[in-house]
Amino acid sequence: MAASIDSDQVPFLSSTSQTIDMMEGDMTSTSNRTNQNELSTLDEPVLDTIKRDLSAVIRKFGYAVIPRQSTTLLQQWDLWGPLILITTLAILLQSNATKSSTGVQFAEVFTLMLIGSIAVTVNSQLLGGKISFFQSVCVLGYCLLPLLIAAFINNILLYISTSSSIPILHIIRFLIVMAAFAWTMYASTRFLGQIQHPNRRMLVLYPIFLFYFLIAWLIILRAHPK
Amino acid sequence: MMMFASDGFLTDNSSSTNTGQTHVFTSFPNSAVDVDDEHSGNKTINQSDSNQYTLPLPATANETTSEQYHLWQIEYYQKYFQVDTRQVVERLIGSITPRPNKSYFDSTIRQNPDLYGPFWVCVTFILTVAISGNIVDYFHKSATEFQIDFSKITLSALLILIYWWLMPTAIYFFFRWRLNRIEYTFLELLCIYGYSLTIFIPISILWIIPINWLQWTSTLIASIISGSVLIVTFWPTINSDHKRFSALSMLIILFVHLLMALCIMLVFFHVSDKNINPTTETTTVFTTVLSTTPK
Repeated sequence: MAASIDSDQVPFLSSTSQTIDMMEGDMTSTSNRTNQNELSTLDEPVLDTIKRDLSAVIRKFGYAVIPRQSTTLLQQWDLWGPLILITTLAILLQSNATKSSTGVQFAEVFTLMLIGSIAVTVNSQLLGGKISFFQSVCVLGYCLLPLLIAAFINNILLYISTSSSIPILHIIRFLIVMAAFAWTMYASTRFLGQIQHPNRRMLVLYPIFLFYFLIAWLIILRAHPK
Repeated sequence: MMMFASDGFLTDNSSSTNTGQTHVFTSFPNSAVDVDDEHSGNKTINQSDSNQYTLPLPATANETTSEQYHLWQIEYYQKYFQVDTRQVVERLIGSITPRPNKSYFDSTIRQNPDLYGPFWVCVTFILTVAISGNIVDYFHKSATEFQIDFSKITLSALLILIYWWLMPTAIYFFFRWRLNRIEYTFLELLCIYGYSLTIFIPISILWIIPINWLQWTSTLIASIISGSVLIVTFWPTINSDHKRFSALSMLIILFVHLLMALCIMLVFFHVSDKNINPTTETTTVFTTVLSTTPK
């Protein structure tokens, strides 16, 4: 006969004689109790969330354009900035179809940038860099901002001079896009070049150069709008 | 009496003492440590665990790690990317300078084939061909008719990747079935063919200039140079076969190389005299130059 009786068997056996120690407990979860200092972001108003995330994205744009701090972009990566940039760039680079070729469409540019980012990231990881996949995509996307500004200026210049092909305008467009390309390369070199072993730094930077070079040429060769 | 030694082999007990006839390696020099792996501090050096009959590793080889990586992990493929910038530049220069006696493959690639160089040389070639093809269109069509032809990228990618993979496959099977030995691994063949495309990258920028004889001569010269590097690489192994047969196979390699270059030149860049559109200034200048040269 077992000397100890389980406490949950007691109601079935007897109800009178023994005094039962009531067990007390608390039904609230421990996370609220210990982390009361942290803000529970599920309950806050949507506007607060949007404002906080938007300010983080804009702050990261600032870090990407004027590269002064090199840790925030990598440690608190997010993909909102790259998504906005790549979508806007794909819209700006769209063109109308003619009878000889269809030009560049939104899906083509978007896919090109996606595959390019993946290729550059995988290359960097294969060469031994200790960077995660999404961190690298984040940095590549954020550093596209100068090229986006150049594409915008390019479109404005093309709309201003619609049918006449002034050679000086081509040269101005070319110089602006090349300057933006150099700025983009410098910014991404500051972020992605530091994590590699110095013997392999050029091997990692070269695919990034190719990726931005291709985008720069897509911007330069953009056709006159009808 | 037979017992299991510490390294797992069944040995005679009496031979565990050093009789002076077998040399046991117990100390390993520091050169076995790969300097490239200093930044990955979590890899353990297996020197104390390894079999005491193994020689120390060469300085350029990757150190052995204790875990086996699987096919879906990215570290599994890292062994194909063990190169430094200096080595890649060395291999690139070696692939465009044919030296009659020294095969650059034996001296630079053989002990450490990599996939970084061939892959990125091919991608650069594809991109320069596509962009240059579009530039040629830009100068030859009027401003309202020109559109970026995105299909040039896919077309050039198809042609170049097929060439890069088809020739090594053909040569690999040729060596295996005709000569009955595996002289080069498939990876080394991919390396050779990938690096042989290096010279065409500046040539594809040169192809933009719409002068007919310039395009043809540059194609010929470039394919002869890189073709001769290929021939110098393959000659030592082919030479042991019949003389006529080895010369024939070398000619075939050179011919296919030339064919690839001609294909790309004709498809993307070639401007024959009747195609020149005299709407832009630059092409009218060229047509007048070409028509006034005495035949």
